[in-house]
Amino acid sequence: MKKLLTVLLVCFGLIAYGQTTINPDTVCANAVGEQYFVTNTPTSTYNWTVTGGGGALQTGQGTDLITVDWGGVSGLYLSAIGVIESNAAGCPGLPVLLDIFVLDLSSNVIGPFCPGDPSATLVGNPAGGVWAGTGVTGNNFDPATAGVGNYVLTYSMAGCNTTINVVVNNGPVTGPIQHF
Amino acid sequence: MRKLLTILCLLFSLTVSSQCVSNQSFILSAPGPYSPGDVVAVDYTLGTFTQLNINWIIAFQINLGAGWTNLIPLIDPVGGGTQPGGWVWDVQNTYPSGLNFGPGWRFVNTGFVPDWGSQSTGPFTMRFRVTVDQTCTADDLSISINVIGDCLTGGWNNGACCSDPAYQIYNGNVQVVTPITSNISHY
Repeated sequence: MKKLLTVLLVCFGLIAYGQTTINPDTVCANAVGEQYFVTNTPTSTYNWTVTGGGGALQTGQGTDLITVDWGGVSGLYLSAIGVIESNAAGCPGLPVLLDIFVLDLSSNVIGPFCPGDPSATLVGNPAGGVWAGTGVTGNNFDPATAGVGNYVLTYSMAGCNTTINVVVNNGPVTGPIQHF
Repeated sequence: MRKLLTILCLLFSLTVSSQCVSNQSFILSAPGPYSPGDVVAVDYTLGTFTQLNINWIIAFQINLGAGWTNLIPLIDPVGGGTQPGGWVWDVQNTYPSGLNFGPGWRFVNTGFVPDWGSQSTGPFTMRFRVTVDQTCTADDLSISINVIGDCLTGGWNNGACCSDPAYQIYNGNVQVVTPITSNISHY
């Protein structure tokens, strides 16, 4: 019962404050229009800073909500986003900071295949993501299962995706032996 | 006239060590603590001014901490005793003794010498208004009043002057409110 109450209180707290972001926050490489916000006090103004990660503040400076475009270099950027709130009297509060991890997914190239080829291992970087697509089982692509065709396989992690194209070609069709 | 009064005082063995100022009181509307932008009315009453060595009351000096602004007189003190003249609001005045006065009210005696003050022994009531300045620091909001006799201003020189300490009306600092920002969230 106590545990249930604790869980409910935590959930209620998260809803009440809209606080769902764990530090560091993960963004996909080259993401655009990412929205960041703090709880709004109507009489306050907000001075945001975006540093590192190739980030660029696009909209919302002065308000409680901004949009940011991120760069493509993977890595952890400490205090990449900061905000200082000032109240109606112009008095600033303490800065609030958020670390950003820019996640750039990549993978190996496989194929082209023939229908009878053995399974190929799919390698995503960084490891730990999930592969999906026709003919995919775990971290393997099986041309026989997929069959002839062109396929898009997706590697996903933390809300980011990268894709590869895989081709399974027809095998040669040999006619009957003829005697001139 | 003054000499006569002096003689009479000596005859009646006026206690020279007593303070000139007594029965002071005040009302603050509204009571503290105060934040930037708060407006406060101060009602101050001096119940009795004892004329030590025939020092006559001449001025009420208002002392404000740095956190206050916009000092405005609302109700002037009244009473000149037998002396003609009136209490005027002044931001600054340098008396013959070199005493730098202001802001506050000072009595301008139009009967004898302007710097002789008022013969009234009270009570005196007055009101002024102050505003807490916009600030982000806990500035001083003290309010005090000095009652000044004409002995201090150079208008009268007859032995020890009244040297009552400032009457403390308020002691405090600006209640600074700084925002507490939530954590940054990402949609």
